Amino acid sequence: MIWQFDVILLTLVLVCAVISLSIRDLMASAIVFGAYSFLMCLVWTGMGAVDVAFTEAAVGAGVSTVFFVATIYRTTRQSNYKRKDLFIRSFSAVVVSVVALALFAVIADFPYWGDPFSPVNDYVGSYYITHTMAHSNVPNVVTSVLADYRGFDTMFETCVVFVACIGIYAILRRRKKQAKAEDTAVKHVAHDSLIIRVASQIMVPFMQLFALYVVAHGHHSPGGGFQGGVVLGASVILLALAFNVKTTLKYLSEKSMIAYSAIGVLIFAGTGLLCMFLGGNFLDYSVLSQILPYTDEVMARSHAMLIVEIGVALTVMSAMYGIYLSLATDGHFDQGL
Amino acid sequence: MIELFKLFGFILLALIALVFIRAIKGPTAIDRLICVNIIGTKSIVLLVFMGIIFKRLDMFVDIAIGYGLLNFIASIAAAKFYQHNKTLRPESGDDS
Amino acid sequence: MNIIIIVLISLGLFFFFGTAVGMLRLPDFYTRSHAAGKGDTLSTALILLGCALFIMHEGHYSGASILVFLKLMSIIVFVFIGSPTASHAFIDAGYETGEKQWSNKKQAKKKP
Repeated sequence: MIWQFDVILLTLVLVCAVISLSIRDLMASAIVFGAYSFLMCLVWTGMGAVDVAFTEAAVGAGVSTVFFVATIYRTTRQSNYKRKDLFIRSFSAVVVSVVALALFAVIADFPYWGDPFSPVNDYVGSYYITHTMAHSNVPNVVTSVLADYRGFDTMFETCVVFVACIGIYAILRRRKKQAKAEDTAVKHVAHDSLIIRVASQIMVPFMQLFALYVVAHGHHSPGGGFQGGVVLGASVILLALAFNVKTTLKYLSEKSMIAYSAIGVLIFAGTGLLCMFLGGNFLDYSVLSQILPYTDEVMARSHAMLIVEIGVALTVMSAMYGIYLSLATDGHFDQGL
Repeated sequence: MIELFKLFGFILLALIALVFIRAIKGPTAIDRLICVNIIGTKSIVLLVFMGIIFKRLDMFVDIAIGYGLLNFIASIAAAKFYQHNKTLRPESGDDS
Repeated sequence: MNIIIIVLISLGLFFFFGTAVGMLRLPDFYTRSHAAGKGDTLSTALILLGCALFIMHEGHYSGASILVFLKLMSIIVFVFIGSPTASHAFIDAGYETGEKQWSNKKQAKKKP
């Protein structure tokens, strides 16, 4: 941890947060929040947490800012400020300050940064670190903890992403008949830019290739299913931004988006069920060596982790694409941002 | 040599803080957008510097590639927003 | 070899210093976009070239360091494609919303 970097970075993060909250224009606030994500990724890299930094980079820098912009495009652009809100705001400021002071008092009891004898590193952590190569031959401890030792958590996280996508889609999806009467407020100017189109056509294949590399190489380098899925989703969002939504819906239609997100969860849970049918516990990958050819128990766990990561990537890609379409087109799925 | 990279990283962060003043002051929202784009590009360079300082560059360069690819999606989205909504400052003039 | 690396990175930092000063002092949105688009991309390319040469020199030109060198070169290519496109998108957006250009004349007098 390089303290000189951390001082400036944390100061900038604080300034970013204060500015993003105090600007009245919502669009500028969302943009400055994107800068907050960039700086947080650098802070986490400085601590050595590369997987978390990669996820923050992919989600915060690319996808999350686009979601905010699409929402602001469809709703209003300024925040309302009434005078009588002042009492509520000062009361909540007092409550938050009291809780923050209590939390600061607890910090004195933390162990030192990087202490090898702290409770985090003592029991379960050191067991995982020393046994990961022997159990599943995967050097990246983060991936082996996510997909193997704590596989239940990752499965339910994938379900949460799936439910979020389906929930937003179900709330916002409307058909044309109701909407013709209401929505003529926003004019849609068909502004075509050749430069953005050609640059996106060059960049999208590289993004998808890189995303597949991140998913497949998650055992040895920072990455894994979630990060690769977000980069894949961002590549499809870039296509929808550069061209229009109708063209992108021809490539990846609405029905396939829903189907892929369900298939991803099915792959994950199906692997677990398959392990149960073969005689082990749910998500106990070592019994899969009976059906995968030429693998012993250790390599079966390694290959099963790859299959599970592919399922996660598929769900996350369709979820990002589905949420962007529902937000940007306001549920009509014909023209968007 | 590694100490020299720490010095370079510190200078780079100080210059980013200078650009950040424009993000605070900038009267229009696109000024802030330009600053966010610059911060994103320099984050790629800072990630590579941190990789060199930690002596594990082969791990950090993957994150840098990811950033390089995703950096300009937010910029293009925000720019397309302004093609539809043709005002740069919101109405009912409150300060930005 | 170390001298070349230090010269490249210092040159990159110098151009970025120019970008930062330009962002603070130039009067108009369009002029600031010039400073950002050109200075930012060039300084990134120079600094990353210096880092790539450093890592290849440190690894004694082995296979792994050649791979990292190629990855850093591909980052430079991606930044060269992406960053000027983003600058074009900014100026396009600014022009569409009718942002006024800065001029050197005083406000009171106008040429007949």
